[in-house]
Amino acid sequence: MRPRRQIATGTIALLPVWAVVVVAYLGTIAWTVLISFTGSRTLPVYDFVGFAQYERLFGTSRWIVSIGNIATFGVLFIGCCLIIGFLLAVALDQKVRAEGALRTIYLYPYSMSFIVTGLVWQWIMNPELGLQRSLRDAGFESFTFDWAVNRDMAIYAVAVAGIWQASGLVMAILLAGLRGIDQDLWKATKVDGIPTWRVYLSIVLPLLKPMIVTAVVLLSVAVVKAYDLVVALTRGGPGIASEVPAKFVMDNLFERSNIGLATAASTVMLVTVLTALVPWLYAEYFRGAKGHG
Amino acid sequence: MARAVTNRRKLVFTLVAWTLALLIFFPILWTVLTSFKSEADAIASPPKFLFFDWTLENYTTVQERSDYARHFWNSVVISLGSTFLGLLIATPAAWSMAFVPGKRTRDLLMWMLSTKMMPAVGVLVPIYLICRDLGLLDSRTALVVILTLINLPIIVWMLYSYFKEIPGEILEAARMDGASLRSEILYVLAPMAVPGIASTLLLNIILAWNEAFWTLALTAAKAAPLTAFIASYSSPEGLFYAKLSAASTMAIAPILVMGWFSQKQLVRGLTFGAVK
Repeated sequence: MRPRRQIATGTIALLPVWAVVVVAYLGTIAWTVLISFTGSRTLPVYDFVGFAQYERLFGTSRWIVSIGNIATFGVLFIGCCLIIGFLLAVALDQKVRAEGALRTIYLYPYSMSFIVTGLVWQWIMNPELGLQRSLRDAGFESFTFDWAVNRDMAIYAVAVAGIWQASGLVMAILLAGLRGIDQDLWKATKVDGIPTWRVYLSIVLPLLKPMIVTAVVLLSVAVVKAYDLVVALTRGGPGIASEVPAKFVMDNLFERSNIGLATAASTVMLVTVLTALVPWLYAEYFRGAKGHG
Repeated sequence: MARAVTNRRKLVFTLVAWTLALLIFFPILWTVLTSFKSEADAIASPPKFLFFDWTLENYTTVQERSDYARHFWNSVVISLGSTFLGLLIATPAAWSMAFVPGKRTRDLLMWMLSTKMMPAVGVLVPIYLICRDLGLLDSRTALVVILTLINLPIIVWMLYSYFKEIPGEILEAARMDGASLRSEILYVLAPMAVPGIASTLLLNIILAWNEAFWTLALTAAKAAPLTAFIASYSSPEGLFYAKLSAASTMAIAPILVMGWFSQKQLVRGLTFGAVK
């Protein structure tokens, strides 16, 4: 039993954090939703117009392009990061020398801002300067790598830079998972004569599931936040080819004085994330509640 | 892994792993190298790798033209300020969650963690409006407060995961010996909590240092930290590439150095405690 005074102190210590959760997080979210039902332009006015902003939103081609782009980006980004991160983790798990240094290097891109990532890749993907010209100079005359300036490929260019940035994160998480696997597994499968790749695919991967879930959650958060990478790499162009929802909100707020439309877009994003999040939170919550209080 | 790994196999994998590391590191290396080139060398064809006239002119130009030092200082103030403010709020909370868990502790943790997953644009408009009405646009104060709020869930979560590892029995023992709450925290808890607090500090400095969404949204010229500054310098045509590289290099250098000397904390921090 704990003394009552301790419990009281514990509660007081939590107050600032509770205040932040309620006022700063929930309050601002509620406010966003409220504005989205008004006809606000430069300043928030509270003339409620129902779902007019939402109708307008889904009639805007730029928004539709943004949604398509974020879906493409998200699938590619999460998928490739998982695959590359897993391969990196397996490579590092072979008792290589100087593993600590390698781990840090693999994780370096992730410790840099998306802005720097975007700028670095802007050069590599610039047809006049980067990879394309280097290889053409080296004799591969017809080599073409113009994704960043190609209307159809721009969002893939963004994905490549993002994958470079975040694969190391997946590597670090999965490597920890590999280390946690019972070492007798390898002896046992060797005795049974199962090929190594098969062991990884059929036994190791399922064992890593909790780690993979963690990685997917972290990567998804990055997808929803995608803004700075796009701004630094393509500025949403060419044209509107690589626009993303977060940039749509920013532009409508700052350049087009369209607060109502911006908040409607924000609300759509909030609801989407929430829909994806609720089942996960539920599972997490009840799993924990059963185990320990 | 206890699986027998032959020496040859080990060598092959070491080579593969280092080749991959070079590939991954190359873009960063290239940016650093380019920052020491003249603009002509930076876009030379074929690209010059190591043999060019090394120069520091980009660094001096960047400083002269755009007062780089001020943006650097903004970054320092904002990231340190928000980190310390965050620790100030989060440490008591994490302590309370770890050692005096109440009925709602888990609720609060889940609430906080889930807000971190919400898109930042969801709260952009209200925060922008508040800052505008308070006259706090383009001020470091606003950014310190906002980055504190944004990163608070992670700080609490990280500290909580570290505090959880401290055996509660030690605290019980101290209490049995008649230690007051104050001396329990000061003499028993604090020494064991310092490493955890230090890595949380490191992580949060990096996160705040890299934050671009809010800095781009809420600053113009005066309070802009490095991320916003670099973004303003970029041009899709590749003009001033060497200068841009110099600016980027100065922005990432602190992180590369900090990361190298605190590998373990970096890994644990960036994976938000998933990797111990």
